[in-house]
Amino acid sequence: MGNSVAGVATPARTIGVDMALGVDFALIGHQESWRAAADVLAVLRGPERTPLPDDEIKDILPWIPPRAVCRVDVGSIIGTKSGGARARGLYIDSFIPPDRLEAAYVHENIARVRKAAACAIKAGAKIVSLGGFSSILIEGNFDQLPETHDTVFTTGNTLTVAFIVQGIQKMCALEGRNLRRSTLLIVGATGDVGSGCARCLAPLVRRVLLSARKVERLRRLAAELQDDGVQVEVATDLQQFSAEADVVICAASLASPSLLLGRIAPHAIVCDAGYPKNLSPRAEMLGAKVFFGGLGQITGGLRFAPDFHRILNRHPFPDVVHGCLLEGMAVALEGRFEPFSQGRGSITRERVEEMETIAARHGIYLAPLYSADGPVEDGLHCQTEWA
Amino acid sequence: MEPLTSVNCSAIECTSLSTSAPIWQDILAQAMTGELLAAMNYTSLSEMCEDPAEMADALEHAQGEQGHAAAFAAEGRKIGVEVINNVDAKHWKRLRDAFLRCITERDFIGCLIVQEIMLESFAVASYSRVGKVAPGSLGGTFARIAAEEEDHVDHAMAILRAERARDAQRFDDKVYRLHLDVMTTLAQMLAKECKDGHCEVCHASCVKPSLFDVSLSAAELRGASLQQYLKTLDMLGIPGEVTLTWVTQLPV
Repeated sequence: MGNSVAGVATPARTIGVDMALGVDFALIGHQESWRAAADVLAVLRGPERTPLPDDEIKDILPWIPPRAVCRVDVGSIIGTKSGGARARGLYIDSFIPPDRLEAAYVHENIARVRKAAACAIKAGAKIVSLGGFSSILIEGNFDQLPETHDTVFTTGNTLTVAFIVQGIQKMCALEGRNLRRSTLLIVGATGDVGSGCARCLAPLVRRVLLSARKVERLRRLAAELQDDGVQVEVATDLQQFSAEADVVICAASLASPSLLLGRIAPHAIVCDAGYPKNLSPRAEMLGAKVFFGGLGQITGGLRFAPDFHRILNRHPFPDVVHGCLLEGMAVALEGRFEPFSQGRGSITRERVEEMETIAARHGIYLAPLYSADGPVEDGLHCQTEWA
Repeated sequence: MEPLTSVNCSAIECTSLSTSAPIWQDILAQAMTGELLAAMNYTSLSEMCEDPAEMADALEHAQGEQGHAAAFAAEGRKIGVEVINNVDAKHWKRLRDAFLRCITERDFIGCLIVQEIMLESFAVASYSRVGKVAPGSLGGTFARIAAEEEDHVDHAMAILRAERARDAQRFDDKVYRLHLDVMTTLAQMLAKECKDGHCEVCHASCVKPSLFDVSLSAAELRGASLQQYLKTLDMLGIPGEVTLTWVTQLPV
């Protein structure tokens, strides 16, 4: 193989040494595509080795036990005598294979998240953010995480909701739409993120359409919103709604981008907040303004060691991260190690505002909006990493 | 082709194994070779030991591995095949040479790392997988031996953890040096296809493409072995992000 011991061991050992200084937060994530998984393995193999062929990656990845893959350093805009406040963390990959992000593998995937959580506890992380599918798996199963007194867990869903809501408001402003006259459709409305978005946005729109698979949960959420005087309609089938939505939030738990919205208003604003993404590439939405929601941007600095910068941040703007992961970082920078988001259906407007305030205090804001086609803003004020 | 029946073979078992017997024959040959190599390694280790208790322990292990080899040979006879072994086959010889270098250096800890952490991880994981799919007593024997090998690893783990506690960096560097030597060879053995010619253990052509016929695959055996290796290194306390890098850099 032609490698000296020092040549390979040195960068990895740097992580070990820094970990001895303490770990404020851990981020538990997974890759949502085989391409992304291949990129992670390519970084680990190093540039001097040929990347693994796709078939080998699909054979090897399912066998990798959850473990830390890199150190994450995040900075705050709040200054200290020695410079900006910083928090040290780890990115732990659960190595859930991208083709197993679905209900059929729920037990296997929960076991992987449990093992990833054990890694975080062993590393001494004070707070752990559950990213993407990990959060969906655990939001109703917090009792399945390893018990510990020194490490707390958050799904990070409160900050995700905050950025989705902010994104909708910003997009409406950019498009010159009046949110108060809008009909809002939420797909995946009874999930933690979907119901949080409903509570935040329902008072701001004319009518709300809620869609999810479980009708009883839909009715409960509708009753809660109706108590506040909101006009609500529920359906398990998107074709059953009596009105066309002109603002849509897709927050369903889907293994792959397969959602076809069907009938929505022309030029509707559509926020795909799924992780993995919800909307099928085949979805025909003439004139719709689509953007990816739930993303924030760190302005106080973000570093990965080894350099996973373009691997873990696959967005067209620098230092953009999913809200669920950002929540752990924001709370760590605040020095407030508490399980901010836990369980399902408990996200309120007040908690969202509180989390927005914490994040903003440390320079964590809504990321510039973009879609699969690129930035949706004019880009003049946004620094883009896409050539 | 060897005869497929023997006096010890029950009618039902022979019928179910008759078509797959040549596959089991090669799987048993690899396992038996591994056990004989382990027996040789422990015997070499015993000759290096100054402490009579350690020497007795190594000899007991060597005897145990001989017993495993005999058990695999017996399973072959039950299905009517002769199980050959070849400790001089190219991959196995390289593994033996790596162990002997530790002996030459009188490196007791190195010997344990090669045998107990690397070779036994491979044995425990692959025997367990085979034990789940192999029929009758054949499956039972693989499962039993997998469990016994796991006990060996537990025994060595206490010694190795104590050694790492003395100087973690020095210990990890040693493991990495041996990893490059031994695990590179094991990775080549475990590759989905034998790209550098016949392994000199399979009785005819390479058995790997036929493993699907007995509900196994080369990819599965490799994956399980590397997973077991990573878990064993975790138990030693070597940081997971370091060992992940080591494993992803192995040849495929």
